Parts: sequence; structure tokens; C-alpha cells
Amino acid sequence: MPRIPTSLLRQARKLDALLPPLLAPCRDLGAAQNELRWLREHVDKVASTRGHREQDTLLRNFVQQRASGKPLQYILGTEYFGPVEIRCRPGVLIPRQDTAASVTHVAQLIGRAQSLPSELRVLDLCTGTGCIPLLFDDVFTSTRRDVPLRCLGVDISEKAIELAGHNVMRVQREKKDTTTSTIELVRADVLVDPFAEQAIDVPSLKAALNMYRLPPFWDMLISNPPYVSPSAYWKTTTSSVRHFEPRIALVPPAGKGQDDTQQGDAFYQRLITVARDVEARVVLLEVADVDQAVRVARMAKDMQMFDGIEIWRDEPDQCSDQEPTEQDGFAIVGRGNGRSVLCWRERGGLWLGKTPAWESDADRLSETYRSMPRLTSKYSF
Amino acid sequence: MSGLHHARAQLLRLAGLRPYAPVVPRPHARPLTCTPVRLANLNLPPRRTILDSEIEENFLKGSGPGGQKINKTSSAVQLKHLPTGIVVKCQETRSRSQNRKIARRLLGERLEVLELGDESRVMIKGREERRRKASADKKKRRKYRGLEGGKGDEGEGEKQEVDSEGKEA
Repeated sequence: MPRIPTSLLRQARKLDALLPPLLAPCRDLGAAQNELRWLREHVDKVASTRGHREQDTLLRNFVQQRASGKPLQYILGTEYFGPVEIRCRPGVLIPRQDTAASVTHVAQLIGRAQSLPSELRVLDLCTGTGCIPLLFDDVFTSTRRDVPLRCLGVDISEKAIELAGHNVMRVQREKKDTTTSTIELVRADVLVDPFAEQAIDVPSLKAALNMYRLPPFWDMLISNPPYVSPSAYWKTTTSSVRHFEPRIALVPPAGKGQDDTQQGDAFYQRLITVARDVEARVVLLEVADVDQAVRVARMAKDMQMFDGIEIWRDEPDQCSDQEPTEQDGFAIVGRGNGRSVLCWRERGGLWLGKTPAWESDADRLSETYRSMPRLTSKYSF
Repeated sequence: MSGLHHARAQLLRLAGLRPYAPVVPRPHARPLTCTPVRLANLNLPPRRTILDSEIEENFLKGSGPGGQKINKTSSAVQLKHLPTGIVVKCQETRSRSQNRKIARRLLGERLEVLELGDESRVMIKGREERRRKASADKKKRRKYRGLEGGKGDEGEGEKQEVDSEGKEA
């Protein structure tokens, strides 16, 4: 990393004595000024609610923590995921803005759909802070009040499930009784094969669905799984991420006989299989870049169950002016880095506005099977 | 402020009243209570709506990998109005959606000034603000003149003047 020029440090000191240490993590003056302003606002807020006397000490303490590389979100305790404020704690990955862009876009598309099931069920695997179900709920229910939403967040980490429960409670309390959606959370291991020998501490997804009497079928599957390969972890992640964010949320566990790239992609095959088992009509998987996106899209294609597969960049709602707009037969839409893979089948294409209405008549039949009595229970936090 | 308080306390003591009796509304509380009422009477033109096709939106994130690999705190939003070429940038809050709203409002204001000139919301509000400030200054000057002049006199008349001004304000 290039050294920060002395002139910049001097310039920063002239503006504020606390700015130079912030230049280390921020790298440029504008960003450092913003962060200092947010830290100050936070200190003011903390001081006003707790009656903290030593504001300067507190601020200096925060600046020192930030200078050591600790993510700002862990210091302030929250991050905005779209318009939703999500609480963050060390040990759980901080939500990223790029994920928010994809989730917002897919929720908007689904929100515009003509006909939706009587209850829209969304499964979010590797939920972390629970940010994806919360944002999906926020965007979807702002356009559709007629369709109740049911989300299930799944994570292997106990800390994550605890924090997600806290976030769901916090956000839903703000909405009071106006919300018709349910967000549930369970702890389960997505990677473990339900038919293989079961681990003792964390159940497989299928076992967890059975155990808590949750529905076996879900309309949508969204996931932002760990997708960084071990070598990319050391080469491309920033030190702040490496030192302060949980590795378990970034790098998939090593499997037998896998090379580096395969380990990075370890989750996707399993996720697509889960999508098949829960009969998901729309699947959105986050990826690291276009190369991984193409690999995942190929995996999905090999399953021969999807009607369409598309690759989204960071901002899928912006017009694409970036090359390439197509690779290996998969359309790449939007602007920025390759960010997610969208797959759909049957009615999913209709919900997303990808297939004309008459094509999905056959699908309506299978819909009637699905709406037969289902096992329901409340297991919410 | 404390000087004024002190002077008022003295005056009230002279008048034989308890010094901290709430007789005079504090002058600085006035703008907070009155502003919305005054602005409501201003007859402002409707806000200018900006179509999505008119603008180019940009999230200034820099290059390099995104997603899980790095943790950016930048939530800056830049809007470019294509027909006029006006560029507005906002990095006020940590929420990108909030910044998008603020940037759109700023751009709307800029466009309105360009299109309506003196009749735009910003200009009308600015004029009103200046007018109010000028009249408040005038009152302030009158008040202090009164206080200065009345230092040697008996307190009764002075107290009334302060009182009436406070109510008038």
C-alpha cells in the first residue's frame, strides 16, 4: 500500500488534529473527514443519552480504534443496508452495500409481479446480521401490501443468529403492528448433506426445517454465502476485513481434494441443490466477480432445471454500458463488478417479468398442489 | 445570553418581583416555534420533480474488488442532470438511500433556481429569512437601547417594555 504523503498529513492536521490518524484506514481526506464527522455525531448521541462527561476522551478513543483498522460499523454499532439500519457486532460480517443493491432490485422486480402466491416465502441462507430478509421485507412490503411475506434466515453461527434475532426485533418493533410479514431464524448447517451422517451440534437445513416444523417449500432462495478462496483471502481482502471480520463468513471450509478455486465455490453446488429441494422459483446468489459468476451460472445450467440464468453487476438497475454484456451465453446486466447470479424457472420468470404470461399455464397446476394444507408453526424471535 | 439574563434578573429585582419568575419568553425560543407557520404562508411554488431519465446517478466507490472482500464506508452519491450538466454530490449520511434523497432535493433546488429565478422556493425562503433577521435585529437593537437608557431609572417602566417586546416577538 502506498505511503500517505506528509503533505496530506499536514493538510489534515491543519483541518483537525484528529484527522491524521484516520487517514491510515481511509486513505483520502474526504473519507477521513466524513468518518470523523460520523464519529463525532455518534459521540454526541452517546453523551446525550448516557450523560457521558468526557466526550473528548470518548472521541479520541474511537479515533484510535478506527486508526487501528477496526471497521467503523463495529465502532458505531450499526450499518445502513439500503434504508434499513442494521446493528453490527464483532463476530458477524458487516452487510455490504453491493448486496443491498442486488436485493433491492430483485425485491422491486418481484413487487411488480402481476400474480404472486398467497404467501411469498423467501429463504435466506447464510443470513449473518439478518440484513437480507429485513431489506427484502422493507422493499417488498412498501409496494405490495396484499401479499404476506414469510422469510427464513439460516446461519451456522450462533452469534449471527442471536444478532439477527435482535435486528428483526428492533426493526419490526419500529414498524409496530402494521407489518404482515414474518421473519424467522434458525441455526443450521447449509453445507452438510442431509443424508450423510449428522453432526451433533448443528443440524442440517432439512433437519432444521423438520425440527421446527417449517414449510419444506420456498418460493425464493437468496444467499450471500462465503465465497472467497483462501488465496484470494490473503491477496485481495483488505487488512481491516482480515483482522476484524469473521473468516467463517468469508472463506468456505476446506473440503477433501478441492483446489483453491473449488474451495471458494464450495457453497454454490449445495445452494443450487437446496434450491431444487425447496422448489425455489427464483434464486439469487451473490458472487465475487464475473469469473465466479460464470462458474456458478454453469453449475446452475448443468442442473437443467432453470428456464433462465442471468448475471448481475453491482448496480443491476443501471443501464449497462460496460463490456462484456454476455459471456458463455449468460447475459450480464448492470454496472460495476460482477456481483450476483439470478436463476429462475416456471412462474419465477413471470414474477421477474422475464417470461410472457401464457407460458406458465402448466405451472398453475403444480401451484394447486402446493397450496394444500401445510405445516405451520411460529418459531420466531 | 447570560449577560441578558443577569440584566433581566436585576430589573425584576428592582421591580420587586422574583427574579426567575417566567415573565418574559426567552427570545431565542422564538424562531423554533414560529418558522413553520410563517413559511406556510409564503405561497411557495411546488417542488420540482426530477425524472429518472433526466439524471445519471453515480455511487463514487472507486475501483477494485467489492463485495465481501472490502468494507467501504463511502456512501456518496453523485447526480448529474443531463440536459443542464449540473452535478450534485452528497455524502452527508452513512446511508446511501438517505444520500440519494438528499442529492435529489439539492438538485431540485438548483434546477428551480435556474428555471424560476427569483420566484423559486430557495429564493423566496432566503428573502423571508433575511427579512425576519433584519426585523429581529432591529428589535434587538431597540431593546438594548431601552435597557441601556433605563439603567438609572426606576425598574417598573423598563420591565413593561421588555415584557411587551417579548410578547410581540
